[in-house]
Amino acid sequence: MKRWFSNPVLASELKIRMRSWRTVLMVVGYLAIMLAIAYLFLTASVRTMSRYGGVNISSNLGLQLYMILAFIQFMLIIILIPAQTAGAISGEREKQTLDLLLCTPLSSLSIVLGKMLSSMSFVLLLTIASIPLFSLVFLFGGIAPMDIVTLFAFYLITAFAVGSIGIFCSVLFKKTSTATVVAYIVIFALGIITLLLGTYMMSEFLGRNPNFSSVYIPFPFYLNPAVGLSDLLGQQSGNTGGMGLPILGISSAMYNANVAMTGSLSWMAQKLGIWGTNLVIISVISVVLLLISAWVIKPVRTIHSSKRHSAGTGVN
Amino acid sequence: MLVVEDLVKRYGKFVAVDHLNMTVERGHVFGFVGPNGAGKTTTMRIAATLLAPTSGSVRVAGFDVVEEPIKVRRKVGYMPDFFGVYDNLKAIEYLDFYGASYGIPYKERQKTAEGLLDLVGLANKRDTYVDSLSRGMKQRLCLARSLMHDPELLILDEPASGMDPRARVELKNILKELKNMGKTVLVSSHILSELSEMCDSIGIIEHGRLVVSGDVRNIMETISGRLTVRIKLLDDMDRAINILKEQPMVSNIFQEDDVLEIGYKGKDEDLWPLLKTLVVNDVPVISFSKTDGNLEKVFMEVTQDEEMV
Repeated sequence: MKRWFSNPVLASELKIRMRSWRTVLMVVGYLAIMLAIAYLFLTASVRTMSRYGGVNISSNLGLQLYMILAFIQFMLIIILIPAQTAGAISGEREKQTLDLLLCTPLSSLSIVLGKMLSSMSFVLLLTIASIPLFSLVFLFGGIAPMDIVTLFAFYLITAFAVGSIGIFCSVLFKKTSTATVVAYIVIFALGIITLLLGTYMMSEFLGRNPNFSSVYIPFPFYLNPAVGLSDLLGQQSGNTGGMGLPILGISSAMYNANVAMTGSLSWMAQKLGIWGTNLVIISVISVVLLLISAWVIKPVRTIHSSKRHSAGTGVN
Repeated sequence: MLVVEDLVKRYGKFVAVDHLNMTVERGHVFGFVGPNGAGKTTTMRIAATLLAPTSGSVRVAGFDVVEEPIKVRRKVGYMPDFFGVYDNLKAIEYLDFYGASYGIPYKERQKTAEGLLDLVGLANKRDTYVDSLSRGMKQRLCLARSLMHDPELLILDEPASGMDPRARVELKNILKELKNMGKTVLVSSHILSELSEMCDSIGIIEHGRLVVSGDVRNIMETISGRLTVRIKLLDDMDRAINILKEQPMVSNIFQEDDVLEIGYKGKDEDLWPLLKTLVVNDVPVISFSKTDGNLEKVFMEVTQDEEMV
């Protein structure tokens, strides 16, 4: 961890971003909005229940609140991180500071990682600052502290994945505006296309196997963090909170080891669940994208010297 | 310190650097001169490990820029012609950031940064935000940045561009100071007169090729055998140019308004027949004078700028 914070790019950017009063005000504002949403939800629920036969403060209420807050956090990551990261490298190019960074002994990977983590730092700060807010649901029961730890681990990896797409676009496109637009298009297209394709594959499979009684999981679902989140929340709530993937024909029954799972990576999903497999897959993709990004910005890529010398022989 | 051998850099069909060979000796200040697009910046960026050569090699302190770029980066301080700064960083933080990038321990880089701010005359701007500094101050700060890791070779691409006359004099003094410190400097500029004062040797590059290279004094001596003549005319410029072009001793002709500046491969006593030829042909000569050779004349003579007639 100390090594990460000794990354000069990350340390410098954090210093610039975090010493502004605007950052503090935005954190306070975000938490206030989250708190207001929680308050309004609880107030509305209590009023509704009192109108229809009395107030019943149950764990179900806490679960619903938990899922609302979890969804808002997820959307915060999906919406804000591309905007922050897509300008990380292209912005350096536009400001004409990238060359100055590249001619230092810093590796291109540490530049890319430093820029990505610093760009994500504000959203991660908002996410971490909201953890205490989630303790509200403990008042109602149904959610254990470990569930919240798991949820935030899920957020971190999802943020890493979304951030790596943003950085990749930032490396590929010279203009920040282009990189940002492309990053949003990729992320939202990925979200929608994987869902539609997965559903289509699932219906195809069930059409071909009408007597199939276990669970089939198509590969595109593992690429979609929204599917992963739904699955995680479904698992944590025992499918009593209205989440999970019942609409896709998948229920918490799949987590019963006696239920056979088929489809891509079903062996992994059987052990880690869809959300766990989802995290593994998007982590691998993120690492690949970051390595490609680092390679692309590397100004001098090692070419065998004999190849370089032969390249010039045809020029007079 | 810097050895460039048979360097070629191509962008598609365009050849930016064409089999360039040059050497910069340790402790020397080498002036790199050439018209825009001649290949100066490309060569400097290759030496700073920011561009890969198409072929050939560049070695800094014995390290190849492609094979061992990290070692080269530790030896080179690079100041590009255009550069940006980070908003919301103070001058001292700006230097500290780059010092950290070179892995210099905190206390050492703070001390180095303070010393460099003093060297470039920005000690009183220590806690000023970089984006509020003037362009000249940013140039000097960038020069300080390039010195943070105590490089052996400094590559300065047009360091004087955008500076006012006072800042240029200060820059010249800083370069002299760096030379006294034993640094090797590769500096490009369009201000040839300045280069002649501060450089030990120069190289003139055109179309990616080094057309003249060597010790400044030797070059001046070489061209002293050639005369540069300024001829001011009342009019009839085109006819005068045509007549001059037919003279075998005239090497090149440069026109600036109503003045023709020509290179003449002859001695002083050979000049009067040239003047006679113009007068006999009714060219309205107002003045005819020999001028002293300097670096700008060398530049004019060896480059084939599109402005030349």
